[in-house]
Amino acid sequence: MKILTTVKKVVDVELNINVENGAIVESGLQYVMNAWDENAVETAVQLKENNGAEITLVSIGGGDDNTKIIRKGYAMGIDSGIQIDDPSLAEADSFVFARVLQKVYERDGYDLVITGKQAQDTDNGQTGIILAENLGVPCVSNVIAIEVLDDQHVKVSRLGDAGTEIVEVALPAVITVSDSINEPRLPGMRGIMMAKKKKIEVMDLAALGTSLEEVGGTALKSQIAEFITSEKRQAGQKFEGDAADITAQVVGLLANEAKVL
Amino acid sequence: MAKVLVVADIKEGVLKGSTRELLSKAKAIGAETAVVAVGHNIDPVITELVAAGSDTQYIADDEGLALFSAGPFAACVTDAARQSGANLIWFGFSESGKTAAPRVATQLDAACATDIIDVTLDGDQIEIKRPAIANKVIQRVKVNAGQLVAVVRAGAFETAEGITGTENIVALSPPAADVKAVVKEIISDASGEIDLADADVVISVGRGAKDQGGVDLVKELAGDLNAGFGSSRAMVDGGFMPHNKQVGQTGKIVAPTLYMAIGISGAIQHLAGMNGSKVILAVNKDPEAPIFNVADYGIVGDLFEVVPILREEIKKVRA
Repeated sequence: MKILTTVKKVVDVELNINVENGAIVESGLQYVMNAWDENAVETAVQLKENNGAEITLVSIGGGDDNTKIIRKGYAMGIDSGIQIDDPSLAEADSFVFARVLQKVYERDGYDLVITGKQAQDTDNGQTGIILAENLGVPCVSNVIAIEVLDDQHVKVSRLGDAGTEIVEVALPAVITVSDSINEPRLPGMRGIMMAKKKKIEVMDLAALGTSLEEVGGTALKSQIAEFITSEKRQAGQKFEGDAADITAQVVGLLANEAKVL
Repeated sequence: MAKVLVVADIKEGVLKGSTRELLSKAKAIGAETAVVAVGHNIDPVITELVAAGSDTQYIADDEGLALFSAGPFAACVTDAARQSGANLIWFGFSESGKTAAPRVATQLDAACATDIIDVTLDGDQIEIKRPAIANKVIQRVKVNAGQLVAVVRAGAFETAEGITGTENIVALSPPAADVKAVVKEIISDASGEIDLADADVVISVGRGAKDQGGVDLVKELAGDLNAGFGSSRAMVDGGFMPHNKQVGQTGKIVAPTLYMAIGISGAIQHLAGMNGSKVILAVNKDPEAPIFNVADYGIVGDLFEVVPILREEIKKVRA
């Protein structure tokens, strides 16, 4: 089975994010592999271990941070890494990313595409689904378990509104995974050292055989006009002391001050 | 003039509150309103769909739509969007909405936005706001396409009083079944439980509950208040709570009138799922727990001691 897993570099959400003049202040930010994409890589590596697979990882973006993320993928167990580094994609939306990924998919051919269900920075959760729609292949999102049935089918569990949906999917297909699917492995020292020697295929759009216009990057369907700082909730009243006293006091406040009981 | 198509959110035959909220917002921006309902045995909710404020009802009712399947569901919404000529297509905050919206947008060649909290129209120019980076920032997004498919964040819009609609039913032809992604079965959540999305009060349990005994204790409090019963990631990973009860950036996003975080430290991912709540009460034995930074009321104490007292005191004030 040939697996393509897509990985995004995201800002570390644990850090403070500052906004100035409608833009995010870049200095002091750190970047990591999107957490749900780690789950995607782990899913791919487990399929490789259990059923045999060849895993290609693709990441769109430039810089050392992106290289590090691809090396982390190698340390986890992928077989080859592709980096699409093209500055013209800086403003790209999910539809554009989906078209770029489609070019990678069509160049090499894959049985299964695995992505994280959303990215921690945008929380959009669109790219994998749009990719499948454009390719005309089935897509299951929010997947919490996967099992290979045969060369042409997988069975997945999806967390839906009415419960856990059990879906039999014909390959090729796209799945987007939830963090509930697994616990991503921490690569060992040996894996990390080996990963440093692995080759990363770096391409711009031209090398991929396409152009910004062809992937929709010159006619964006939507654009971020500005970033605004979220209103932060303020800490309220905190009570310490005798449990019976303070609990009674707080219940009184919930009933009479907040009027929510 | 703006035309809004709201995708009805129906669970176990009951119309969810989000459908009314979205239709209220559509009326508030002066739009023509339509609703699309997809499933089987929808007739009983049609009156409610009208009362909620829709002026046209697109109904896809078929035995083949009884089990949710993303492909056919999206196909029905696209069909209704085309027939209605809507320039705004809104899903309530749901897993079906999140998986269908990008499909519908692709099929319509429309723009797509998930998690929107506001929408404004200036002539034909659509603009939305949505949180990003675990709620730390808000994006103001300009829509260049003439049509937008969006998933509206839980609690973003409010139901307005005095809204009415007109009955004008349009039956949609049932779509072909998805033969490439066949839904074999849906293992139902414990039915009869209060849905987190619709509950006025949500009580979530965290690591402080330690084990099943602690979870059951907090569940009794939820039972007293007829509250939705949610969980932090830790208790889901520990196997004490089901996946579908996880509140947070990756799980359910809730915005109830009262949210109680019991034994939850308040990781950023959890906060992103509940910090739109009107009032937050936190119980935690660590006075430095980050949950206290967002809580309106905080009780520093051991939940095993506090929860039984909380139950008694609440019974007293409600008596």
